[in-house]
Amino acid sequence: MPLRTDIPVYRPDLYSASAIRDTYPHYAALRELGPVVWLSKHKVYALPRYAECRQVLLDDDTFASSGGVGLNPVANRVGQGTTLFSDGEDHARRRSLLAHRLTPRALRTMKDTVDQQAAAVAEDAVARRTVDAVEVATALPMSVVPDLVGWPQQGREHLLRWAGATFDALGPLNCQAARTLPASLGMMRYARAVVRDRSALDGSMGHDLLLAADEGRIMPAECATMMIDYLAPSLDTTISAISSALYLFALHPEQWRLLKADPDLVPKAVNEVVRHQSPIRAFSRTATRDTELAGTAIPKGSRLLVLYGSANRDPLEWDDPDTFDIRRDAARQLGFGQGTHGCAGQGLARMETSAILRALVERVDRIETTGPPEWALNNVIHRLERLPLELIPA
Amino acid sequence: MKISVDYPRCEGHGLCADQAPDVFSLDDDAELTYRFEGTVVPDESRPAARAAVNACPVAALRVLT
Repeated sequence: MPLRTDIPVYRPDLYSASAIRDTYPHYAALRELGPVVWLSKHKVYALPRYAECRQVLLDDDTFASSGGVGLNPVANRVGQGTTLFSDGEDHARRRSLLAHRLTPRALRTMKDTVDQQAAAVAEDAVARRTVDAVEVATALPMSVVPDLVGWPQQGREHLLRWAGATFDALGPLNCQAARTLPASLGMMRYARAVVRDRSALDGSMGHDLLLAADEGRIMPAECATMMIDYLAPSLDTTISAISSALYLFALHPEQWRLLKADPDLVPKAVNEVVRHQSPIRAFSRTATRDTELAGTAIPKGSRLLVLYGSANRDPLEWDDPDTFDIRRDAARQLGFGQGTHGCAGQGLARMETSAILRALVERVDRIETTGPPEWALNNVIHRLERLPLELIPA
Repeated sequence: MKISVDYPRCEGHGLCADQAPDVFSLDDDAELTYRFEGTVVPDESRPAARAAVNACPVAALRVLT
């Protein structure tokens, strides 16, 4: 087995402001270096290619989440008790408490409401004609998700900022994480108050958690962390996917025409958007034993960074990976993760993104950018901050 | 080629049925069902079945060769 000194090293900081805003050239350089690359800045093994990312995600015995999936010891400790940071039985128990509310079957009852709200969002956007793609993308998740999770009306104005900060905290302890730390603690504090005051909306997922705690199926302390577990990833990520979709269709009018000609392509388009502009950059895993990955020795205790956004652009897996093509079969993309920890909310995310695309494809002839895109600064979430668009009505 | 389904793990996302409509479908209760007779995936459906296994978001499908 090769020694660690044989492992290619990458020195640039993947989490600098410039690398966050323009991340894909870094991924290309990493993939070129090899299947396992040592990030000297963050002291972690990066996995930039599809095959190894998938292998690690599917082998959760060897590559554990309970040591945290972030890149710093503070977040990896604070996040203990979440579904995201658990393995085996603990994970299965926590996931089973809420994930059943998010399956496509459970979500069927919401489909009409989501479609109606998507239609209203699209109608309003078309009427205004000049819009910010991110504002359009935010409207639907904000009207659907907080009710489902049961977050009280009061406090919703902070949700997006808090949720974004929670993701920032999962990166390295850089200035970005430091800047948003108070906001991520704010969310934790508020979630504890929701549990203490039992103010989660009746019949919501949060309410289920309170009942589970009453019945002794979870510890009361798990309630607040699990609420954040499900709320935090359900906003920014979907906003990312919807706004990236609008951007990609503005850049590729021929793809919009394809979708207009055949709206049945919407589900494939959603996969392709999440492949091409993966909302989550990376999460980490810890090796539970000495192991081997693509011929590289991985010592027990090593932290590995699963770069979803890079795996989804790996030319060893995808033909012309940088090309956005909604006819592509992108169902195996890793943007929602895969396996035991595969995104529990992906049914809802697919439903929301599909609903907006179907509502717009009916009403909009073409989408044009009217200014440059501005990318949000976040360690973990890859999304637009602002994108001026003109929606030319059909 | 046989495929095993880990039913407790299946959440009914339905990507397998999109990938391989001749192999899998979801019934009205979103339970996964096989579309073919017996237990062996027919030859002509194998590539699609493999794609379905690869697409399963929660890795509930496995190829048993």
